[in-house]
Parts: sequence; structure tokens; C-alpha cells
Amino acid sequence: MADVEKVEIVGTPALDGTYISEMDMWPFECQEFNRIYPFYEHLRDGKFTTTKCKKCGHIAFPPGVICPRCWSEELEWVELPQRARVVTFTETQAGAPIGFPPPIIMAWLSFGEGSPLKQLLSRIVNCKEGELKEGDEVKFVVFDVPSHPIEVKKETKICDRVYYAFEPVK
Amino acid sequence: MAEKKKAVIVGGGTSKFGVRQAHLLDMVQEAMKACSDDIPALKPADIDGLIVATTMAGRHSSALNTAPLVVHRLGLKPTSICIRLDTLCAGSNSAIIVAKGLVESGIAEVILVTGAEKVYMPQRWETNYTQLAVNDHDWDSAMGLGVPPPFFAMIAKMHMKRYGTTKEQMAHVSVVNYNYGTDSPMAHFCGRTLTIEEALDARIIADPFGLYDCCPLSDGASAIIIASEERAREMTDRPLVYLRGTGQHATHSMSAGWPGETLAEWPHLKTAADTAYKNARLTPKDIDVAQTHDCFTISEIIELEELGFCKKGEGGEFVASGAIKLGGSIPTNTDGGLLMYGHPFGASGARQAIEICKQLQGRALHQVKDARFGLTHNLSGTCSQHTVVVYGQEPVE
Ligand SMILES: [Zn+2]
Repeated sequence: MADVEKVEIVGTPALDGTYISEMDMWPFECQEFNRIYPFYEHLRDGKFTTTKCKKCGHIAFPPGVICPRCWSEELEWVELPQRARVVTFTETQAGAPIGFPPPIIMAWLSFGEGSPLKQLLSRIVNCKEGELKEGDEVKFVVFDVPSHPIEVKKETKICDRVYYAFEPVK
Repeated sequence: MAEKKKAVIVGGGTSKFGVRQAHLLDMVQEAMKACSDDIPALKPADIDGLIVATTMAGRHSSALNTAPLVVHRLGLKPTSICIRLDTLCAGSNSAIIVAKGLVESGIAEVILVTGAEKVYMPQRWETNYTQLAVNDHDWDSAMGLGVPPPFFAMIAKMHMKRYGTTKEQMAHVSVVNYNYGTDSPMAHFCGRTLTIEEALDARIIADPFGLYDCCPLSDGASAIIIASEERAREMTDRPLVYLRGTGQHATHSMSAGWPGETLAEWPHLKTAADTAYKNARLTPKDIDVAQTHDCFTISEIIELEELGFCKKGEGGEFVASGAIKLGGSIPTNTDGGLLMYGHPFGASGARQAIEICKQLQGRALHQVKDARFGLTHNLSGTCSQHTVVVYGQEPVE
């Protein structure tokens, strides 16, 4: 796993440890709050996945609990390509939301012919400002992000979290 | 079946837009005052419907159920409709579509559409942070996408690459809009002017955008009255301005669903525009004045293309040719637009409607000669939805 975010903090970095979900910069990933939690479990295994409809064959992104083409509930998890090309990109110094260390390098990715996922906006991590070029190949990468607490009866359970981005193929 | 009624915009006004020392509800009251000054015969009891457009109110003003707050502060007693509506930057333009339908069907007679945002917080970081919740939070926002400049910068880069659009052509948009808006007293940057050189020398926000390629975030509110033709005649002697046609088209929420061949093509705007033109029984050639969503200079360039005012890919040359100035083929954002007047998200659509209303009544600050038909457009989200409204001096018969 890439070392991208600080992970010592539980909750919302901007709030110095106190957790207000309304202020959370990451998704609810745990089973208690999300029916697409397998997506995040697959991330932990290094897999980039989504849901495919068993009725009509449509592969949607992001994943869901019904097919957005035919509304069937009969879905299965499939893997998506982990390599893409940079179509265009931007490097942001100012105005990045607190919690994302600047510069944020953001790219418009193309997954090429035959991929069910055609294009995606992604952060490019493990890359210095000025290094990235249009046409560069990038690969999927998973990293830890801050966990959050949930109340289970009188106990507090900590939900660890991961997220993904792309990094240059060196 | 009873004959369908005709909906008109009677008039309206805005609060001062900018970084305001004011609460959300102060600004709604200011906008109502400006609207009342514009329609002196209007009384609180005349208004039977209220639509409040806001995105940030729930979070930044702790006002999730905003409509009753506005009812109380404006002394209204609505009987037909009283709702809050949110489509981000297209909020009050969406409210106009709803109001048109309610008036035409006879459910409402006189509707106040107000849009308002309190954007700036005691600590500035919160404004950018809140943007994580206006994009597709779990996906694009988790990639670090907050305020929109990075996304639109990529759009600009694609348009430059595919169609040869230049930074100087983009600068023409901000220069024209600054010159239009400089004498609008309520504009965020009232009194300021801009030259091509100043625009090109400005500090970089996100390559290729300099400071003046980006609209500001603004606090502010706007208020307009949409009414039946009959009730409007009781309130004003001015020429009536009819809501002829509307279109709203959404295709996705996050980047994976982008509908264009590349970021430089916005087919979803073309669909929204075609729908509005069809309902209005007009074509782009008929439109005399337009207010388009110039959140960035490149946005106005692409919008002029997709709205059919010039050929696809020629928007850069078109704006540099003077076509968007008074006397040009389509004077655009004649009150300064988002770039100059400012952009309190939910308030912007109604602000545009006020300018088109004044243009078609012949009383705009920068009057387009003999303007008969006008158009407003908002995009919202990460360019995921487009809203178009067409106005005319005569109704669709
Ligand atoms: Zn299906």
C-alpha cells in the first residue's frame, strides 16, 4: 500500500479527532452503513471492482444494488482495468479542501477500447508536481485513509478505511 | 378543459452580491426589498406561492427547512406552494420552470422565486470544504475535487487542444463581462474594469486559468415574481415578458458518466437547449440576448457553441470577434454574468431572469436594441445538468 494519507487520526482531520459524519471527506465504507461495502473490501485485496447485471450484462460505475439500465437486483462483482492513460490533467496549489495535501494532481483518465469504464476523474498520487505528462500510463493504487468510530450498543467500534487513486507507471 | 394560463416574469431584484457582512435571511430580505422597489404595486398578500432555491442554507446557515424561515421574514402567507428546492447553481432557474408549470396549470397565481446563499464562513477553509458535499461525495470528491477550477481547467485544456482555443480568446469573455457589469451597483465587483493585458497577467488559479477566468463565490440573494398574465397586468404597466419554453437535462453525477466524446463537448447542454427551443417554438437565430453560465471563461465559450449561437469549436473566435458585445450577433451576460456580478449558487438563475426581463422590457442598463427574445442558462454540479429558459415579448400561441 502506498503511504499517501496520515492515518493516526480517527475521524475528520479538519476537526482534530472529533467525528461529525456530515464533515467526513471519505465514504461510509463499513457494512453497517453501506450495501456496496464489498467494493471497499475488494480495495483491501488490491482489486478495482464494480457491479455487473446478470440480466442485461450492463457494467455500471459506481457500483450499486440495482442495475441502472434494467433495474434488476441480480448483480455480480467484476474487476475493472487497473491501468489507464492520462488524457489531460491539472495541478492545484490553492483552494484544495483541507485534508488533501497540496498540490493535488487531478487527471482525466481514459481506459481505452473494450473497457466497461471509459473515463474517470482521479487523483494522481506518488507523483511530484511537474512530473506528469499527457499520454502517461498510470496504475491503480490503494491506501489507508482515516478511520471513523461507530456506536455498537455501549461500545465504540473503529471502522478502518481505504481509498484508491492512480499513480504513474515508472 | 380550461384554457392554459400564460406565465410571465413581472420583475425582480437582488441583494448586493459579494463577501457580505450579513446572514442568509438578511440577504433574502434585501432581495425582497429590491424586488418590491421594482414592482411597487406588489404587496405581501398578493403572493400565494413561494419557492426558495438554496444549496448551502442547510449547512452554512443551519437552515435545512428554509422555506418557512423565508415565509416568516418576508411576511408571506402562501396557500398554493411553499417549498425549498436545490439544484445547486441552477436552483432558482429550476424554480422558474416549476413556477411556470404551477401558474400555467392554475395551481398558483403569483409566485415568489427567491435564491440565496451564505457562502463565506467565519473561517474561510469551511467554504472550500463544503464543496466536497456538492460534488459526488463518495467518488469524485474523495479524489480531492472540491471547488470546481481543476475540473473546468481540464475542460479548457481539452477545448484548446481540440479546437485551438487560446488564453487570449478566453480573456475576451472576462473583459466583455467586466465592462458590462462595472455599473451594476449590486455586482460583486461593481466599479472594477478589466483589460486583456490585466486578464492575461493575472495570477494562475489552475492552469490554464488565471484569476479572471474564474467567477467568484459570492454571498447574495435574488427575488423575482412569476405570475399569471392577468395578475401581472394588475401589478404593472410595463410590457409583459412571457416564459415561452424550458428544458432541463441531467445525465450523470460523477465523472465516469460524462456524456461527451471528450470534456470539450457538452451534448447534454445541446439536449436541454433543443428542448427549450422546441417548447418556445424558436431557434437560436431568434434569440436577441442571452445570459449563460459563465462560471469560467471557457464555460461561456462552450455554451455559445452548444446553444447554437456559433459552430462547434468556433466559440473562441466568436467571443474574440465581438459577437457577445452590444451590437454583436448575441450580446451575452449583459449585467456582468457570474464572472462579474458574482455567483451565490441558488441566486444566479433568478439574477439572469431579472436581466432578461429588463432587456425585453427595454429598460436594461446595457440595452440590446429591439430585444424580443431572450435566453438564460445554468449548468450545475460538475457540469452534470443543464437548465435553459427562453423568454419572449409575446407568448407561444
Ligand atoms: Zn441490467
